[in-house]
Amino acid sequence: MSNEVESAQVSDAMEVAQLSSLAAVDSHAGSCEAEMPSRLLNDAVRSLPYHVVKDLLSIGVCSRCVLRILGTEDHIYCHSSFSQSMLCSVLEEVTGFKSECDFQFCSVCLGVLQLIYRDDKETLVKMESPNDMALVIAELVKKEGHQIDGFSLEVSIPQFILENESSLLSGMKKRYESEPWLQERLLSKCVSVKDVLKFAITKPLETLLDTKASASSFRIRLAYTHKMAFGNSVERNQGFKRRKIGTENGLQNVNDESVVANKDCSDYPTNETIAVTGRSSLKVPIDKVSEPCHLVYLCYRTHIYLCGRYLKYSRNVSQTRWIIDEERMGEASVEEIIGSNILPMCRGDNYKFHAAGREDIDVRMLGSGRPFLLEIQNARQVPSEETVKEIESKINGLENKLVGVKNLQVVGSQGWTLMREGEAEKQKQYCALVWISRPLEDEDVCSISLLNDMQILQKTPIRVLHRRSPLERKKIIYWMKIERIAESSQYFLLHLCTQAGTYIKEFVHGDFGRTQPSIGSILGCRAEILQLDVTDVKMDSE
Amino acid sequence: MSDVMVDHTQKLEETAVPNNLEQQDKQDEEQPQQSVQENAEYEDEELHKLLVPDITQLPLIPPSAVEFNFASYFAPDFMKPGNDQYVYRHANGLCVVGLASTHLAFKDKGGITAVDFNVGKSDRSGMKVTGKRKKNAQHFESNTALCKVCTNGDSYIVRCCVKGSLLEVNERLIKQPELLHSSADREGYIAIIMPKPADWLKVKASLLSLEEFKKLRALC
Repeated sequence: MSNEVESAQVSDAMEVAQLSSLAAVDSHAGSCEAEMPSRLLNDAVRSLPYHVVKDLLSIGVCSRCVLRILGTEDHIYCHSSFSQSMLCSVLEEVTGFKSECDFQFCSVCLGVLQLIYRDDKETLVKMESPNDMALVIAELVKKEGHQIDGFSLEVSIPQFILENESSLLSGMKKRYESEPWLQERLLSKCVSVKDVLKFAITKPLETLLDTKASASSFRIRLAYTHKMAFGNSVERNQGFKRRKIGTENGLQNVNDESVVANKDCSDYPTNETIAVTGRSSLKVPIDKVSEPCHLVYLCYRTHIYLCGRYLKYSRNVSQTRWIIDEERMGEASVEEIIGSNILPMCRGDNYKFHAAGREDIDVRMLGSGRPFLLEIQNARQVPSEETVKEIESKINGLENKLVGVKNLQVVGSQGWTLMREGEAEKQKQYCALVWISRPLEDEDVCSISLLNDMQILQKTPIRVLHRRSPLERKKIIYWMKIERIAESSQYFLLHLCTQAGTYIKEFVHGDFGRTQPSIGSILGCRAEILQLDVTDVKMDSE
Repeated sequence: MSDVMVDHTQKLEETAVPNNLEQQDKQDEEQPQQSVQENAEYEDEELHKLLVPDITQLPLIPPSAVEFNFASYFAPDFMKPGNDQYVYRHANGLCVVGLASTHLAFKDKGGITAVDFNVGKSDRSGMKVTGKRKKNAQHFESNTALCKVCTNGDSYIVRCCVKGSLLEVNERLIKQPELLHSSADREGYIAIIMPKPADWLKVKASLLSLEEFKKLRALC
């Protein structure tokens, strides 16, 4: 938050800093451009209807707003090196109108296009040119340590400014209805406050940040707010009520409205007011703006994604952080191990872990691993391919060997599509350690291997019945294979491939006969499962 | 104008990069075919090592899923002498109730011939409980009848033993009453009941533990 303090300081010391940096900007832009804009500006101003300019200036509309409202083309007034005073003097010179300098803040944009605002510390900041603003932003980007390959600039302004503008425009339409320039200029070409600001700042920012403005995941945001915007509607309703209740005849209405319109700017007149009063003389909703907008500069990167597959070697590690009554279940979580190792490499603020399905805490995830997606918020740096490889080997080299990762890579938001596919019904391959209540026969090994695409009926297992709907689900066991364990007649490994969503533990022991058939019912004895591992998660796309 | 120039050079660079990559890819492809296979085999081996347990660490007879996941309680002589019932309580609070092996019904000649859930005001197997919230579940008292177990000459009323919502009855018993003989404590369970935690604590106090029950029936 000290950024705002700095911006204030910067603006004071700007005169000096500006000179050097502006020189740099201009030299990049080319020598001919330095002269062209001011001539173009003069030409543009000359083509304006002078009397309208006068009217607008007289009600406190700032120069940039005058130019944009009158649809001046080419946005030359947005030129980053044009200072406020320069624009002002050109306008006054050409139109021969001397504004009374009564108006500190533009009555339409509330100072946004005059580059005046209040920062976080309530300090009033006044920038001379868009270049200065770009400098402040570039400082912030550097300070927060972002490594960027592009940026997208966002501006948010109070709704109030738009309402201001539309009421002024409707007033102008009425007033200058008959004048021919109106159709051409006013109706289609008014450039929005946001766009003007963006036009003005983008070029110097590109130079300072040495990158292009683009649809980037790196966002620079100028968030303007105005205290007038808060509780606006409430205030208005009250005003409306008062008028309705307080006056019964129509004549008094007009009086009341004029009172509202003449009130100090801390009050909020309605659009109607302008519509009525704007006929004769041009009016803006606020006679005199006493307070500029608050501005907060933000720069952040929208999420970046890393995807891969994770392996879980421990039967005491949960997939996600699992804490019940402040007591951690398991010694760690896949989420935390992966997230905490990747986050610092991207220098992000936070991470979110998403996986395609999950396994019980006491089930290991081996073989292919399970697809996951890690969302990093506000990464200062998108890790390079090399860095990603480093992260991967770092996680795989961790001493406790609880978790591993495979195929780690940075992906765009298509990572989500992959994940969603992963969540859809897929085949899963498992290996279970099974004990049966009689010795295993060769016939059993054979008969089990012959059961292909076997359908089973599974009632919601008792162990999850308290939180899941009681249902009977059909699942398919695609194939099974028994692997004998040397020196044991009753223990064996059961390799099986099933439809995703099959409860394997219940398929082995039968869950009070609620899963049918089960390994126990097929072999005609009691079957117990001691350990379970996932050995493959097949995705649709594979 | 200068912008256009910059764009051009960038594009040139961009097209140059993929070419390099392609070449690298081709080089990569030729050699590794074999090593990929070797790698896969190595991975399979590693996986297999992880999967095979150390047999010396395994118990001769492992605890059953019921023993492992449920706590056993017993209601001896429930409402009538010899009407011994079990209550297996899962850690999640759900209770499976059924006939204890010492139940009088098992001693009748010819054994159990039928199980009838049509007792009391409604057929216990008629209500279909649905949804996570267990809509339609009937709330029963400990002594509410669940079903009637018939032998050749007699019949016995099996009761809830636990105050709570009846989630499920074992409908297989209607067609296969013999399940009670083959495995009354597994496939031959009678019903699943979900008590409220507070109610469970009260009920628990009235039940015997496995040890107490064994002692009572002189099973050890």
